[in-house]
Amino acid sequence: MSNRSGIHSELTFQMIVESAPNAIVLVNNDGKIAYANNQTEKLFGYGRSELIGQTVEVLIPPRYHERHPGFRQMFFHAPSVRAMGAGRELFALRKDRTEFPIEIGLNPLVTTGGTLILASIIDITERKKADERFRLVVNSAPNAMVLVNQIGKISLVNNEAKKLFGYEENEMIGNTLEMLIPARYRTAHVDFRNSFLSRPQTRPMGIGRELFALRKDQKEIPVEIGLNPIETADGIMVLASVIDITERKKQEEAIKRQVELEIKNRELEDFVYIASHDLQEPLRTMSNFAQALEEDYAATLDDNARKYVDAIGKAATRMHSLVRALLDFSLLGRNKKLVHTDCRKLVEETIADMADTVNSAGAVITVVDLPSLYVYETELRRLFQNLISNAIKFRKKEVPCHIVIDSQTTDDKCRMSVSDNGIGIDPKHFDRIFQIFQRLHSRDLYEGYGIGLPNCKKIVGLHGGEMWVESAAGAGSTFYFTIPNLQQ
Amino acid sequence: MNRRLNCIMLVDDNPDDNFFHERVILKNQFAGKVIALTSGYQALEYLKTQYAGGMTGPELIFLDINMPGMNGWEFLNELRNLQLPRPAVIIMLTTSENPLDKERAAGENIITDFRTKPLSEAMLAEIIETHFDNDRHTG
Repeated sequence: MSNRSGIHSELTFQMIVESAPNAIVLVNNDGKIAYANNQTEKLFGYGRSELIGQTVEVLIPPRYHERHPGFRQMFFHAPSVRAMGAGRELFALRKDRTEFPIEIGLNPLVTTGGTLILASIIDITERKKADERFRLVVNSAPNAMVLVNQIGKISLVNNEAKKLFGYEENEMIGNTLEMLIPARYRTAHVDFRNSFLSRPQTRPMGIGRELFALRKDQKEIPVEIGLNPIETADGIMVLASVIDITERKKQEEAIKRQVELEIKNRELEDFVYIASHDLQEPLRTMSNFAQALEEDYAATLDDNARKYVDAIGKAATRMHSLVRALLDFSLLGRNKKLVHTDCRKLVEETIADMADTVNSAGAVITVVDLPSLYVYETELRRLFQNLISNAIKFRKKEVPCHIVIDSQTTDDKCRMSVSDNGIGIDPKHFDRIFQIFQRLHSRDLYEGYGIGLPNCKKIVGLHGGEMWVESAAGAGSTFYFTIPNLQQ
Repeated sequence: MNRRLNCIMLVDDNPDDNFFHERVILKNQFAGKVIALTSGYQALEYLKTQYAGGMTGPELIFLDINMPGMNGWEFLNELRNLQLPRPAVIIMLTTSENPLDKERAAGENIITDFRTKPLSEAMLAEIIETHFDNDRHTG
């Protein structure tokens, strides 16, 4: 009975072993192969009969031959079910002397003929290739990648990660990931890491939080991190893809400031519109009623009363003009368009438009040399109009007015000039003349609102240029301004 | 001699402006009657009552843009919604220097023109000549 059941169990065992997908080799305590299954024949290229009776070292590359019998005997002394060669890479040798990577599980098998070792062998060539491919992909990725195992130890980093964090590979591998995280986040990060592993899924890290990485030099950098769980032979790992967003943050900041500035400008414009509207209304009422008073009560008003009413009307009108001037100034360049412009033509047209003023003053205007440039055409026209009308307005009564318009162009900019032989400006006033509503002369002498030169300066500023004046009292003035020489 | 309209309506929340505009219209005899109202609501009520009673409305409305409660644009919308007979000419009258208002006025088919306050004799003469020109010789 017992013998028959013994035969029966042996047959069952043999069937199981033969149908196993792994190569299975039974080795006795002399290290001799007692049995090899069909998969073993396929894997190693030997016939079964060639193997049985040989020492197991026939399946192992020669370089391990010296040490292997020792390992083998140690196992026989304390047999247990375990993986072989923990932490080492294992290789097997085919009949044709080629090597291949393997993984081996060891099982002690107690039989009537003594203890045998059942070695279950898996060819891991494909997995190794896949690992290698993975490594290559990770290494060629354009962003830093860090592979972390379940207990938070770094097991792989790519070149970009070395660059980003400033560590060498061997300084990172085997260390906990928290070395790459600023100290204040470390404790929390361990919890985040564990919670990710309990529900691993591909997702960006730290949604809604600002993330920072810590470099070897202890500098913190803003980063964005994508997390990918990866199934590996060593269990689930997390591949963290890290992007340095320092530059992007800077740009975002710049854009934010730009937007804020635009909003401020818009607010200022709105303010000016509203202020001009609200300021104009009472002014209009003043001048309207001054007019009504003059018209409706002409018969009853005496000369003095008429003078007062007239003064009210004039003051209201002047303030109306000042508010308009302020509005114009603040809206200057609002719809500016950069156009390639023949500046000589522009100036000649401007002079033609001002023919009445020019002729009645007997002014002579000489345009020496002006280039073609990219400019804000409408605004530049206004600038020349202001400068020419100033030159005419502040001419010397006793000398014919002569205005010379010239320029010097270099690679990066064009310096234009408008010179006159007028009354000149005392150098102590050079700053004041460019300020809004600043006037050097009484209104009886020269009409004006103190807005012309501020407008000019603003127009030059719109172009990104500079404006200044050279003059002395009584010696004429030359206004200079620069316009960048844009070639678009 | 200025051509005379029957009725001009002023819609402006500023009574001083209404006073002055009414004065310049009547003084120069541009219209026989001026209806000066200080809100869009009042103007709509007036028009509804007029037309309900089978009476005619104003031939010309001067409409201020910036009014509290119902501004000029809202008044125009209401006028459109009520489907009242339209006055021949509606002119936006404002102090607004906002170019957006001018653009908007250009896009409104109900607005005939856009003028800056205050109304003067010359401006009124020109408006009436431009917009009521076709009856000048017959009327």
